[in-house]
Amino acid sequence: MKINILGTATTKFGELWDTSPREMAKEAMSNALKASGLKPPQIDALFVGNMLSGILGNQTNLASLVAEELGAEGVPAFRIEGACASGGLAMHNAINSINSGKYKTVLVMGLEKMTDHSQDEITSALSAAGSDEERMSGLTFPGIYALMAKAYMQEYNVSEETLAAVSVKNHYHGSFNPKAQFQSPITIGDVMRSPKVADPLKLLDCSPVSDGASAVVITSDTTIKSKNPVTIIASEVVTDTLALYNRKSFTSLLAVVKASQKAYLDAGIKPTDVDVAEIHDCFSISEAIAVEDLGFSKRGEGAKDIADGKMTLFKGKIITNPSGGLKACGHPVGATGIKQIVEITEHLRGTAGKRQVKGAKIGLTHNVGGSGAVAAIHILKGALS
Amino acid sequence: MKTSPVKLWRRQDDTIVAIGKTGKILLWTIIRVPAKSFTDQAPYPVVIVKMDNGKKMVGQLVDFENENLVAGQKVEAVLRRLKTEGKEDAIYYHIKFKPI
Repeated sequence: MKINILGTATTKFGELWDTSPREMAKEAMSNALKASGLKPPQIDALFVGNMLSGILGNQTNLASLVAEELGAEGVPAFRIEGACASGGLAMHNAINSINSGKYKTVLVMGLEKMTDHSQDEITSALSAAGSDEERMSGLTFPGIYALMAKAYMQEYNVSEETLAAVSVKNHYHGSFNPKAQFQSPITIGDVMRSPKVADPLKLLDCSPVSDGASAVVITSDTTIKSKNPVTIIASEVVTDTLALYNRKSFTSLLAVVKASQKAYLDAGIKPTDVDVAEIHDCFSISEAIAVEDLGFSKRGEGAKDIADGKMTLFKGKIITNPSGGLKACGHPVGATGIKQIVEITEHLRGTAGKRQVKGAKIGLTHNVGGSGAVAAIHILKGALS
Repeated sequence: MKTSPVKLWRRQDDTIVAIGKTGKILLWTIIRVPAKSFTDQAPYPVVIVKMDNGKKMVGQLVDFENENLVAGQKVEAVLRRLKTEGKEDAIYYHIKFKPI
């Protein structure tokens, strides 16, 4: 079944202190509907990606809350949770619901409100995505990724400066994105001088705490015309062990390798056919490992390729994180997976403005939950190809 | 969040068998921004250890000098108080590692 993306929207990402979760949800959904030329009653179902509304917001009936804001009376609504991959999982479930024949036109949104809470509350809440063993050891998510960074640096003889280049690239990209949380370029020196969070990761190796919401409307209804349709040609989800410490490899995420291989097979493409990708760079090390797991770089060369500009706007071949990624665009965890779809759709439509990846035909999104306990990969194709 | 005493009781079997076992550090980091119940211990190192029986474990490193923070360092599993609980909570003991 052919499923097209219609309208997409995202709120500004950042510290949105004067905006409630309801207001963010409403803004993203109404703008996505408007861009689709649809009214709320034309939505058959609503899928909401969110991680922390229960822990931080004391709201575990979020799908109904968001449905209220959509204004489609009685619409079936579902909240999907898979840590930082909640958005990608919501997308996958929405696609499956259409493929099953149950629904035709579905709104998928991702939503997270984080900045109402203190740093240690957020750190504890995010730890809820981890394993008991790692939590009891006092590990945090930056700590778990710091261990991967150690392993990667040891195994491939990569320096902290080379890893820092990932953040530098993503801030450069974020400087072209008016929706990004951080729109100022940074230097390798800025990253190196920033305070340590979990050695060897420093503050500017880490994605920020953010608020934000993103929404997309997808449909299999051929009577709904879109001037510039983007087609979803693959959607895969793969899980792995919750904990990192007892995995075979600390320098590759098996869930990403498996999900991307399945997705490439479904889409009938090779990694090198991808023009633009949104990568889950929750930490600088994450993107270095991701570009290897996705087959864009050889093993051990991901960080170096990024530092060499091979994935940088206006000069690279496969452009990663034109939005600025989680690092610069921001990481409202449940919204990230949907924001990635919004960003790639813009590039495939040629409407990404200053940061447009020229002639982009095929795009990929890479959304990871926990320390690789779940990965969601989507591949999209533009009509311009 | 409060840890249920029942949960602690259920876990104790796994903890007890590990006491006194030895292994070597594979990877280490230092946590400088911890979760809430660990704030009074930060900064503290956490290590992934390959035990002599081949299994991997993860835990805090205690009673250490900076020179012990190196891959290959031999360590022993010891029982330690885990973190700061609320006044009404059960006191939580768990495995940590010390250099030998």
